[in-house]
Amino acid sequence: MRKDERGFIVKRGFILLCVLALVLSLGGTVLADNVIKIGAIYPFTGPMAGTAQMLKNGVLMAVDIINNKHDFDFLFADTEGIPSLNGAKIEVIFADSAGDPKTGMSEAERLITSEGVVALVGCYQSSVTKTASQAAERYGIPFVNGDSSSPQLTERNFKWFFRSDPHDGLYVRQQFEHLVELEKQTGESLRRIGLVYENTETGSNVAKATEELAKEFGFELVEKIAYTTGATNLSSESTRLMASKPDVVMMGAYISDQILFAKTFKTMRFAPKVWHNTGAPGEPDFIDSLKGDANYLFLRQGFCADQVENKPVLVEVLQRFRDKFGHEMMADAVRSFHAPIVLADAINRAGSTEPEAIRQALLETDIPGKYCLSPWEGIKFDPETHQNIYGKYIICQIQEETFYTVFPSAFATRGPVFPFPAWEDR
Amino acid sequence: MPKISRKTVLTVLLYLGIVAITPLCSKAPFYRHVLIMVGLYGLLGVAWNIMGGYTGLYSFGQSAYFGIGAYTSTMLLVKAGVSPWIGMICGGILAAIVAAGVAYPCSRLRGPYFTIASQAVARTFQILMTNWDYVEGAIGIPLPLMADTWWLMQFKGKMPYHIIIFSLLGIAILVCYYIERSRTGYYFRAIRDSEEVASSLGIDTVRQRIIAAMVSAFFTAVAGTFYAQYVLYIDPESVTQHALSIEIVMVAAVGGAGTIWGPVLGAAILMPISQYARALLGGAGRGIDLILYGIIIMLIAVVRPTGILGFFQRKPAIEGEGGDDIGTTITASTGTDDEVRGSAGQS
Amino acid sequence: MNVGLVQALLSGLLMGFVYSLIALGLSLIYGVMDVVNFAHGEFLMLGMFLAYWFSVLFRLDPLISIFIIIPLLFVVGVGVYKGLIKRILNGTRISQILTTFGLSVFMANMAMFLWTPNYRLAERTLTRATGDLPIFGVHVGIPEVIASLGSIIVFALAYYLIRFTRTGRAIQATSIDSEGARLVGINIDNIYAITFGLGISCVGAAGVLLATFYYIFPYVGTFFSMIAFATVALGGFGSVEGSFVAGILIGIIESLGGFFISPAVKYAIVFMTYMVVIILRPATGLFGW
Repeated sequence: MRKDERGFIVKRGFILLCVLALVLSLGGTVLADNVIKIGAIYPFTGPMAGTAQMLKNGVLMAVDIINNKHDFDFLFADTEGIPSLNGAKIEVIFADSAGDPKTGMSEAERLITSEGVVALVGCYQSSVTKTASQAAERYGIPFVNGDSSSPQLTERNFKWFFRSDPHDGLYVRQQFEHLVELEKQTGESLRRIGLVYENTETGSNVAKATEELAKEFGFELVEKIAYTTGATNLSSESTRLMASKPDVVMMGAYISDQILFAKTFKTMRFAPKVWHNTGAPGEPDFIDSLKGDANYLFLRQGFCADQVENKPVLVEVLQRFRDKFGHEMMADAVRSFHAPIVLADAINRAGSTEPEAIRQALLETDIPGKYCLSPWEGIKFDPETHQNIYGKYIICQIQEETFYTVFPSAFATRGPVFPFPAWEDR
Repeated sequence: MPKISRKTVLTVLLYLGIVAITPLCSKAPFYRHVLIMVGLYGLLGVAWNIMGGYTGLYSFGQSAYFGIGAYTSTMLLVKAGVSPWIGMICGGILAAIVAAGVAYPCSRLRGPYFTIASQAVARTFQILMTNWDYVEGAIGIPLPLMADTWWLMQFKGKMPYHIIIFSLLGIAILVCYYIERSRTGYYFRAIRDSEEVASSLGIDTVRQRIIAAMVSAFFTAVAGTFYAQYVLYIDPESVTQHALSIEIVMVAAVGGAGTIWGPVLGAAILMPISQYARALLGGAGRGIDLILYGIIIMLIAVVRPTGILGFFQRKPAIEGEGGDDIGTTITASTGTDDEVRGSAGQS
Repeated sequence: MNVGLVQALLSGLLMGFVYSLIALGLSLIYGVMDVVNFAHGEFLMLGMFLAYWFSVLFRLDPLISIFIIIPLLFVVGVGVYKGLIKRILNGTRISQILTTFGLSVFMANMAMFLWTPNYRLAERTLTRATGDLPIFGVHVGIPEVIASLGSIIVFALAYYLIRFTRTGRAIQATSIDSEGARLVGINIDNIYAITFGLGISCVGAAGVLLATFYYIFPYVGTFFSMIAFATVALGGFGSVEGSFVAGILIGIIESLGGFFISPAVKYAIVFMTYMVVIILRPATGLFGW
């Protein structure tokens, strides 16, 4: 017994020490001179962790361009740091939301008050962005979002919230425009739509927009299937969808389920004429894991690597990204890339890190299209909603295990493969 | 009613003292947020403990009641402008009614069967909420930002939330004291030790189990309302998720199930560890904080199988100070597994 | 409509066999040791990742590497038992929950730390074992068929081991009365180690078979453990036969419920079925004791 007791005391002391060490080390944030801190919140743990790494690298790429000299034509490329603030460097402090709204909120508060960030970017999942931007609103700190697509975010008319990326409503509209164009090109009817979406915030928003716009464009929704994310088996979903004989499948899924859907469709030999998707197939693992089975899907993207033809600066940025991180810059990294650039531009014009000054400068943001990696005419925020009025998507198709832009025609580098080839003929 | 002893007065004063002093140590909102999380999870742990700790029925479905609390008050506020305080009571009552409805058919379930059943109910509830358009389904409900008033339970600062959650926790603890000393508490423990024996002593075990479930659900729902008012955004994924149910069990288990202060202590230990570990290591994006969290939980379980509260109690309380007597039974009767298993109602 | 029904029924049945095998490990460990292993899904994940790494590093198809992975996971299981589970066997139920849950958090995040959170599919070198098969006018995947056949084989082997070998009889004796087993000279500690190893091998084998067609990532276990718990409770904790029947039942209910009612609520249907069964047969499930 006595020996046991001593053991307990030692262990008890050890655990207490651990706790103490954790608490103490928190206080040890050192403030460096001439550094502007920006907070970035992403879901580094949980099922979205892979995407979070891509988003993080996009932010770091932007910071690299802002902080260092580069020999290509881009915002802040020829200077080091923020010129109007004596070359002050941008430092990004990353925080983990774990995909949880409550954590997103508290991390935003911590970044603002304990880390002293002057602005926030993030948080990918719209539910987390909602609460984190509420915190920013309460503290009066600018929040620039480049990677959440829920329409509600900019419908709140927040004073401090800005979004460079387009939202789900816009993208579904473009999808229908694409379908109309496809009908014109091929003369085939694509009026029967089968809608499949994950039962989450994003999926439900996509579904809502699709339902509304299908009516507006005169398409018929023949099946509407909500499924549970992380389902172990998607055969009943696929079977139902197949039974409704749609011309077009419109899918709002996350990459994991998207992989499983592709495999299930293949097994069942289900090949609708068009298979349209959200950004999920644009995740780096999608083509890697599915190889040839990933071909001929259409997906919305904020960016596609083939756009180098239209935008020479991309060559340099993409190369730089490859060197720095050892992998390709994918659409998610481009989305998160814009936010720090927008912020740095505003801080530079404001010549100050005062929140109100940055906010005023953000309202006057007018970044020309050539400094956007996405194929936009530029970045300019709506004075009421603070949504980027130029934000829009392109529609890509996977061909030969690579992404090619197929719509709008101004950006298209290839014609679409239509219809979706039968699985056995590949 | 038990007599008010000096120990009770001291405990109350100590509680009030700690609650009043801790937020003043630092003005950092993150620090205060951690304290509020301690209060919130403390309340959830205490609520779980009323059923899990005393009657030995381990619910892994508390998230359903949390969700009912969050959604009831929020819907009342958004659709009818009802004060969250009233919504809190309504949510609590609704949750208690639902809990009774679930507890009755489940009243013959023991051990892991009960645990899985509670999980199944909560998961089903989550699926229903996700698909119910009237409550905005998966999109969730943002609470309207309104004036800072006590009536609307909405504040810019953290202190009012701190006061509210620790008052609620205080009330829950008082209820626990009352239960522990009352005949009901005696019935609960009898059920935990052996349902057969309890029922042969003439205790209406079904009735007692339903009472425990109702009280537990009530406080869990109250915590749900507080969460909604604090975070100002609810969706099925955050207020009805299974991970929440597990976190609640962790808090109670780490501190010491079956004791009044165990769950509070568990929250006071786990919340700072997980929050600060994430703040420190989470940004690296490799899950290191959660690896540590897993190790710490395993360590606690192996070193202190009855919870941390034993750290501070040299001698385990003999006269039924809740769960620690489970521990005593084990160390005293080395090996007879049946006694240990009896604690989970399994024979 | 008929075609859809056949399709749903077949895929539900095929998946059901895999569920059975996953549940077997959980049920076995509970039946013998009275420990509910919350890290069960993470061992499934481990099996899937092992299959992936063997396929990438050594160009071994999961259907070949399964013969290496099953013994490997047996050793892992015994190691985890000796290092961790043994220490909590005499503890309270709540400390067992804490430990195995802590283990699951640890394993999932360790996998993320070591192998990144990327989604992967195992590389198939046995190309004949891919593609699909026409049955009754519908198409089912050959990997799914092999996975379910494999599950049946592994299940049958485990069943044989438990029911008809000396060790198996010792395991049974221990599960019925560990004190009595000790008295007749059975080394309980060894039996526990073997049981835990066996349980982990079973779920690991299911992981390898799943890896032939399912995506792999560090948190994949949580999806399956949810199903596994419902399966085990439906079949009856500790019942081998129960796991088998319940796994198939759940596979079919999930598939048919999704097809006829709505995919959005298919898991709610599974859980409600479980609730009905458990209320009708409390404390036993379908086959439990």
